[in-house]
Amino acid sequence: MTQAGAFTRPGIFSKEVEVLRFFRTYFLPRILIYFLVIVVGVTIVFVIPRLLPMDPIQQMIGQITSTGAYLDPKAMNYMIETLKELYGLKGSLWEQYWSFWKRLFRGDFGPSYFQFPVPVISLIRQSLPWTLGLLLTTTLVSWILGNVLGALGGYFPQKSWAKILDVISMVIRPMPYYVLALSLLLLFAYFIPVFPLGGGFLIGGRIRFDLRSILILLKHAFLPAMSLILLGVFLWFQAMKLVVQSVKNEDFVSYAKLGGLSQSKIVRRYVMRNAMLPQITGLALSLGQIFSGALITEIVFSYPGLGTLLYNAIFTGDYNLLMGIMSMSIFVITTSILVIDLLYPIFDPRVRYR
Amino acid sequence: MRKVLLVVSLLFACLVMAQLAADVPRNETFIANQLTGRVGTPGNFNLWAGWRWQDRGIQNLLLEPLWCVEYATGEIINALAAEPPIYNSDFTELTIKLRKGVYWSDGVLFTADDVVYTIELLKRVPGMSYNAQLQEVAEVKKLDDYTVVVKLTGSNSRFHTYLLDRWGALRILPKHVFEKVEDPMTFEFNPPVGTGPYVLKGYDPGGYWTLWELRKDWERTPTGMLYGKPAPKYVLIQTFGTAEQQVLAMARHELDAADLTMEGLRAVLQRVNTARAWRRDFPWSVNIDPCVTGLHFNNAVEPYNNPEVRWALTLAIDIVEYAGNAFDGAVTLSPIHLPLTSAYYDWYFTRIEEWLKSLELDLGDGQKFKPYDPTAGERLAEYAKKRGYKVPTDPGEIKKIFGPGWYKYAPDVAEKLLIKNGFKRDPKTGKWLLPNGKPWTITILTTTNPAHPSYRNGFAASQAWKKFGIDVTVMTSDALATLGQRGEFEITTDWPAAEPWGGHPDLFRVFDPYNSEYLVPIGENAPWGNYGRWTNPEMDAVIAKLKDTDWNDTEGIVTVGLEGLKLLIKEMPGIPTFNYPGVVAWDEYYWTNYPGAENMYCQPYHHWPNFKYMLPFLKPTGKK
Repeated sequence: MTQAGAFTRPGIFSKEVEVLRFFRTYFLPRILIYFLVIVVGVTIVFVIPRLLPMDPIQQMIGQITSTGAYLDPKAMNYMIETLKELYGLKGSLWEQYWSFWKRLFRGDFGPSYFQFPVPVISLIRQSLPWTLGLLLTTTLVSWILGNVLGALGGYFPQKSWAKILDVISMVIRPMPYYVLALSLLLLFAYFIPVFPLGGGFLIGGRIRFDLRSILILLKHAFLPAMSLILLGVFLWFQAMKLVVQSVKNEDFVSYAKLGGLSQSKIVRRYVMRNAMLPQITGLALSLGQIFSGALITEIVFSYPGLGTLLYNAIFTGDYNLLMGIMSMSIFVITTSILVIDLLYPIFDPRVRYR
Repeated sequence: MRKVLLVVSLLFACLVMAQLAADVPRNETFIANQLTGRVGTPGNFNLWAGWRWQDRGIQNLLLEPLWCVEYATGEIINALAAEPPIYNSDFTELTIKLRKGVYWSDGVLFTADDVVYTIELLKRVPGMSYNAQLQEVAEVKKLDDYTVVVKLTGSNSRFHTYLLDRWGALRILPKHVFEKVEDPMTFEFNPPVGTGPYVLKGYDPGGYWTLWELRKDWERTPTGMLYGKPAPKYVLIQTFGTAEQQVLAMARHELDAADLTMEGLRAVLQRVNTARAWRRDFPWSVNIDPCVTGLHFNNAVEPYNNPEVRWALTLAIDIVEYAGNAFDGAVTLSPIHLPLTSAYYDWYFTRIEEWLKSLELDLGDGQKFKPYDPTAGERLAEYAKKRGYKVPTDPGEIKKIFGPGWYKYAPDVAEKLLIKNGFKRDPKTGKWLLPNGKPWTITILTTTNPAHPSYRNGFAASQAWKKFGIDVTVMTSDALATLGQRGEFEITTDWPAAEPWGGHPDLFRVFDPYNSEYLVPIGENAPWGNYGRWTNPEMDAVIAKLKDTDWNDTEGIVTVGLEGLKLLIKEMPGIPTFNYPGVVAWDEYYWTNYPGAENMYCQPYHHWPNFKYMLPFLKPTGKK
């Protein structure tokens, strides 16, 4: 019956086959690779810190003694044993690896070693909103602005505004980020002191859900955001401009021009749409990287976030914290790539029909 | 729409210039930078359960210790304790007399119950601070509300030093708060309750600042009782990401006290006409910090296990050139394994100077050499003068500023010592070969922070020894603490000996790490102060004598201390070079009367626990 039905309705049959083929050749391999990348990535994140010449307990003892507190040598070994027990560093590497995965499935990264017994997840939770707020906004704003300006600049390279943008991008792009950030700080917090020197919020103030708090938050985020946007916009601008310059010479663009389509339609529907494809992949990667924080931004502007948390985890040998942040980053990067990959057929019909 | 925009713009404009909240007037607030950086756990003040960035105000404003080291004046301050520690004759029992009339910030009376509870709790719960050390407590009990007796499982004449604050101590916690807590390890102690003069007013959930307010009943705290009312109503401890940010903040008068790099200090002094350093003139840096810097040999690695090799390397250093390379001469030289603060200078240097002058090294073939150069400090002052700095002319002052003396630059003598021990120079290159004929290469392990005195020592030593004909590499690493404890180095720039207490002549803390009882092979954890694994039966005897000398017997302690110091100099397990050159900058725009070199009423650092004892002496300028 089914077969007969299928033969009587060839359109439906071919659609089912197509979906099945899409599922088998496009969807399934990507899902498998997705999980494989996560497993390999997390395993690397587990192994790498253990290859560092740093021991979290010895780093902790070093911290205690170097700041001046007295630790009787007799008590030191007792302390080492106690901390090993509490940190869960007593079993074999395999046992630690296994318990790490078990905890991971429960969404628990264990306690931070350096800030013991505070759970890693609560440390991440404290810093994540600041990082998300700053980097999500700046990444999206930079991406949109950079691509729009890049597309227009690439299509109309002879216009004077495009030339000005080119000059600005040539000045800003090669500038080391630290120098750019520090210059902004000097300019707007010292010579023209309209912004604070650092921090995420007014000192002595409390964050509330009102207009005043939002304005204070914005004021504190302005310079860090500006530094990231300036650099980001011109990064996307240059990349997009190059792609557009190549796309606009393609045959289909010439054909569209000959077909008498309006210039705005050609730019939007023919040039930008084709040039966007690598930029979309780039956006997915950039969004994933948000979870590693923006270390230099945080340091220069004393802005809270995951960057300094990760940095401190590295040099204190805080494996759990390091693994927590990196695992999250791996998860978000791979997921965003998967999502983009799965959505790609919508942006690019060529993928759909391949 | 226009109206909304106008309101938003006005609001923004109002907020633009404000650094502090409206209820925190700048001229009533003292602002200091936080040495240890951004707080990772901003809402957690439980410093008995792990690292909690205690210099955010917990140790320096909120809490009082039983005793506190004051190295500027060379004394031990009785804070919550009413008098020095009292031991029985065999040091198995410690009696602590407590100060009366002290109240916790929530209005509860501080008594012996708090001390007993603290010791019992920390001993009982694994992972809490001092849990390991407190295992030697057999019993703790109160005799009355202001007397506590601690019975130990064995003899320990220095048990009370756990309770002695020196940027870290077992501090007393409020029993009435902690006894209601189910798990003291996860308890956040927020809002915190203390015996110090300030209480928490607010903190940044991002971890960049903590704001403290003066207690209304400040006179019921040891600070108030000992020194009077602290001048600032508010104290803000703030983290600045970079040295540049601190310089800018000082220039905007948004920072009153800062730890800086020497380069940062120079920038501040040039830019801010109300700024000053600890010393108003060159060398500006703090030279009373209770640490001596230098080089630390690994005695478990050949050829550094040979004292004559260690001495040869010492004599291959031209200390004036070395100090010039490290800090442009802005240091105080120390030829002994102690920082030459005023107190240690008087307690030890004055009594060891003659011995140093007569010290002789045996070069073989009946030749002797006196290595001590009493003019090294003067030579360093001369160097500074040539560099264009203003240098005093009084010899006494020069000795205190640049150091009294150091060891001679005698590469010829160093050569003799090495040849005596089988080393030779490569006839082709002129470089040194080990006794086995292989080229002599040295790797110096140091920190990654270029501003740190350890780093500067590493590179200065490298230059000196390269000049002498040895291939030297400097390896910087963030894993310094791990590699050091495991003994995975040849020479490190860790302190040449453990830091002394600072405000007391006792050198038990300096010598005890050398105890042969703690000697471990490479790969295992050595105690801090002796990562180099040097031991000596004579030092064991010194340590034993010191253990039997009462903490309050100053003369007895100094006599034994001198014995130990002489042994360290003869054996040279580490080379002391100069005092830790601390760099602080103060802005006198809002506050004056800082404890500078000309007015040393207190140690100068705001991150030390003694900061609260400095605050009553500060004077507001009245500027708005």
